[in-house]
Parts: sequence; C-alpha cells; structure tokens
Amino acid sequence: MCRVADVPENGLKECEAEGGLKLVVANAGGEFFGFQAVCPHQDVPLCEGLFDGATLTCHMHLWQWDVRSGAPLGLAEAPLQRYALAVEGGSLYLGGDATALDVGELFNGIAAGTIEALAALVRRESYEPGAVLYRPGDPADDIFVLDSGRVEFLIGRGEHTAPGGFMLNKGEVFGWAALLDGYPTRIASARCLEASTLLRVNGKAALGVLERDPSAGFVVMRRLAALIARYLASSGAR
Amino acid sequence: MRIQVNARNRGYEFEARPGEKLLYAGLRAGIDLPYECGTGTCGTCKAKLVAGRVHDGWPAAPGRKHVKPEAGEFLMCQCAAEDALTAEVSKFVYAMEPGSCTPEACAGVLRGTRRLAHDVLAFGIELEQPRDFDAGQFVVLAAPGVPGYRAYSMCNFERGAQRLEFVLKRKPDGGFSQWLHEAGRDGDRLQLFGPLGKATFDPALAKNLLCIAGGSGIAGMMAILARAAQERYFERHRGWVFFGVRTLRDAFFLGELSACAASVKVTVALSDEDVPESASRSWPQLAFVRGLVHEAARDAMVGKYQNVRAYAAGPPPAVDAAIRMLLLEAKLTTDNIRYDKFS
Repeated sequence: MCRVADVPENGLKECEAEGGLKLVVANAGGEFFGFQAVCPHQDVPLCEGLFDGATLTCHMHLWQWDVRSGAPLGLAEAPLQRYALAVEGGSLYLGGDATALDVGELFNGIAAGTIEALAALVRRESYEPGAVLYRPGDPADDIFVLDSGRVEFLIGRGEHTAPGGFMLNKGEVFGWAALLDGYPTRIASARCLEASTLLRVNGKAALGVLERDPSAGFVVMRRLAALIARYLASSGAR
Repeated sequence: MRIQVNARNRGYEFEARPGEKLLYAGLRAGIDLPYECGTGTCGTCKAKLVAGRVHDGWPAAPGRKHVKPEAGEFLMCQCAAEDALTAEVSKFVYAMEPGSCTPEACAGVLRGTRRLAHDVLAFGIELEQPRDFDAGQFVVLAAPGVPGYRAYSMCNFERGAQRLEFVLKRKPDGGFSQWLHEAGRDGDRLQLFGPLGKATFDPALAKNLLCIAGGSGIAGMMAILARAAQERYFERHRGWVFFGVRTLRDAFFLGELSACAASVKVTVALSDEDVPESASRSWPQLAFVRGLVHEAARDAMVGKYQNVRAYAAGPPPAVDAAIRMLLLEAKLTTDNIRYDKFS
C-alpha cells in the first residue's frame, strides 16, 4: 500500500490498496492503524484531519475517533470502519477486514477472548430488500449488528405508525430490548430497505458471556445506556 | 404543505409555505435540522428525496458539489417542496431546546450604513417585529433584486432587539456586498431569516472566553462582548480577544475594543505589515503584534487554557488554523471550540 516511512510519526496519510480501496493510515508512535479514507459524516478526506497520536479529528465538523478502535468520541455520531494492517519489509499491507462485531458501537475494544465468545454466538443472516426482521409484539430475544445494508424502524401498529429512524453503518446495533430486563417484546418493526447482512446474537447468551467478563460487561452497558439516551434525548449540549 | 423528514433517530412532520425553503420551514417549526451556512455553500443541509418533488432555487449553488442529484440528494436551504414531500436526513436530529430562539422569517429596513474601514461597512436593520437571538448568532439576508441569501453575524446584543447591527467586507464578486456598497440604500426593505448558528455565548457558561477573529469575523465577538458586559461577566471570568487584519488600515472597531480593554485583553494581529508606531499611540489600551491571528493567540495564551471556551470566526483558512491550534496545541475539547463556517 505504501512505505512505512511515508507516514509521519503521529501523522496521517491516504493510501490505496490493491483493488482501489482507499484508506487513511495513522501512525501512532510507530503503531499503524487503517481506517476508511473519508469521514462518515460528509465524505471529507480524513487525511486532511488532525491527529495527535491518540485521537483522529475531522477538520470539517470536529468529529473525533479513538485511533486504536475507530470508536466515536465527542461529537462523532458514527464509528470509523477499521482495517487491519500488516508491516512487512518497511511496507504496509492491508490485512483482513474487521468484523461488524469488532467495529461495532457496543463491543469494539473489549477483550479479544470475550469478542471471540460473542462471535461464537453469531448467526450471520442475509435478507432481501423489504424483508421484515420483527414486528411490534414479537419476542425480543436477539440483538442485531448491522454488517451491510440498511434497516428502517417504524414505531406503532397499523395506521398509527411513526418513523423511528434507520441504521446504515457497519457495526450499528439494534434490537437492544434483548439485553434489557422487563422488555420481552418488540415495540417497533424493523425492515430491510436494501439487501442487508446482519449478525444476530441471542441476548441472554450475550449477557451470559458478559457476566463472565464483568469489565467488558460494564463497558457494554455504559455504551448501551449512551446509545439509548441518544435516541431518546433532545440535543442537549450538542 | 406537509413535509416529513426521516432522520437517523426518528421522523418529523412540519408545514412548509409555498416556495419556502425546506430548511427554513423545519427550523421555524423548532426542528434542529442540520445546517451551517444556510446559504448554499457548505452542503451540511444535504437531504435525500424519498417521495415528492423539490424545486431547486439555485442549481449552481457551490454546496451542490456535496450532493449526488442522481441519487435524489438536494440542499434543504435551496429547495422548496412542490407538494407534500418526504425526505431523509442521514443524521441524528433533535427538537430545539426549550427556550432557544426559534428562527423565523421577517423583514426590516436598512438604516445607518456607514464606512468602518476602506473596504468595510457597518449597517443596521430596523426590524418590523422585535426578535430575540443569542450572542454570536447570525441571520441570512436578501436584498431586493439580488438572488439568494447571505449570512451576517449580529454585532449587537439585546433581548427583544428592534435593531440588528452588522459589518460587511467588500467582496468584488459578492452580489449583496456590491448592492450595499452602492450609495443610497438606506430605507430599502430587506428579507431576513434567523437567528441561526450554534457558536453562541450564554453567561451561564461560567468559563474564561477566548475569541479569535479574522476580519469581519469580529462581528459575532462584539455581540459576545456586549452580552458579557451586560452581565458583568468579566468581573468573575477572564477574557482574551485576538483580532486579525492585514494592516492597521484594515482594522475597525478599535474604539469599541478599547472600551472593553479594562476587562478583556485585546490583541490586534497584523499579518501583512510590521506594527506601525502610530498604533499604540492611537490605541494605548490595545496590544499590537505582527503575525497571523492564530499565531498571536498561540504565543499569548501559553499556560492559560484552564476552563476556557474558545470562539473562532472569519475567513475559513483563519478559522481552520485557529481550530487546529486549539485542538492540537491548546488541547481544548471539541465542545469548547465554537465556530460557524459560513463564508
């Protein structure tokens, strides 16, 4: 993709991998991290952004990410797609793709063993455009992690429905009720607007994994609380 | 006309008047739709048509480079609905906070146009109805016979304002700027929409204020200083103003800034000339340095960033340089760096 020496220490460089995929590479004190080349907000090249060795900032609207995980910080509303990189003979190569679970807003950065245990629970499912994943009143057993495609929500039943938003970024999580006590059924319908690939994880089984790694469980629950607040809250200090 | 906007987190419904830009209709309804310039430049108000048709009032808007028309994308600040319409915005959208100044369309009469510097005018608009706005906000203005709106920050601050005050730098290609620079415009009626903008100051902030402005970007800072002065804010908090211009001849508001200098440290940065000896003689309360405005701030602010909220305004390169300095060197968090990019 490029020479290691081309990426300045605590700097950024846009590189192109074989096949034309563009990445921005960040050099964090000699460790290299690869991400999607443009900001998920407005397609601004991230190589023009600001980088202090730990936090990557898009200069346009100051969205920020943790360079180790791609997790959103501060004003950012979406994670960065992260790509594994390999260093060989002074050059950088594209490694394997991170999975939706790895980059996901709930699970990224938790212990590798716990991610593996969660990954063992995953059922990968593909849906045609228009497929309905659940309707109000259906049992809320599973959470979903979006891998690709687009899912739309409608709150309410019959003629009394209101749009409940939509998911379009790899790693976004929905169907959180499966992780909560006292919410056994769905309150919205979820429908794929495009051909979509989803990771389905049984909520009780995921909670079982997190109970065995309480520090990861604490992180996941903090993020879940922030996620729910983001959907319920007004703009607050934004 | 019934408009539905589906955002990442939920949907909103509101009414639009015939011909009304969708952004303005939504904001007027108290829905905090995404925007920055409100005038077709930045592309932030991009939306995607789901159902219905839009009329694009300015197909050549510079912000159109951010949209894919073939995918049904359009700028909400330039497009009106032809009939009931559903659009989608790929952002989280919230209702405006209770108590915020909801923007409205209104009209006013141009009064008191005067020259501040060789290429800078001050002008005022007497409003037909008094309006509330926050210090640091702007409105968009349309002059008779000049297509489109231009954004200008208010320099003054008061609740229930009957008069808004602005500054305008002459731009050779600016329609509104050319229009205003022609003599005898006072008394003409202008259309406004606002207030807009999130680079606002409220005294409840209780932080030290750092204002970095290039050229006419000083306008919003004057409103912030006026608001702070009304509340005796600087008896409890510190304040610094850095005002960048090319040469002393380009500077203005130096009298007003001198009047603030008892409570706020004001530095004028001259980028294109050494500081003339006459500068400190004429304005003894102000500091003058040679250099770019963000460099002047960087040099003077070392070790003073505890509990600081920074505001940046002016030409985009000056704002970008200030933001870069504030994030990477001053290590301010993004919520303490406020700016509106609309020029």
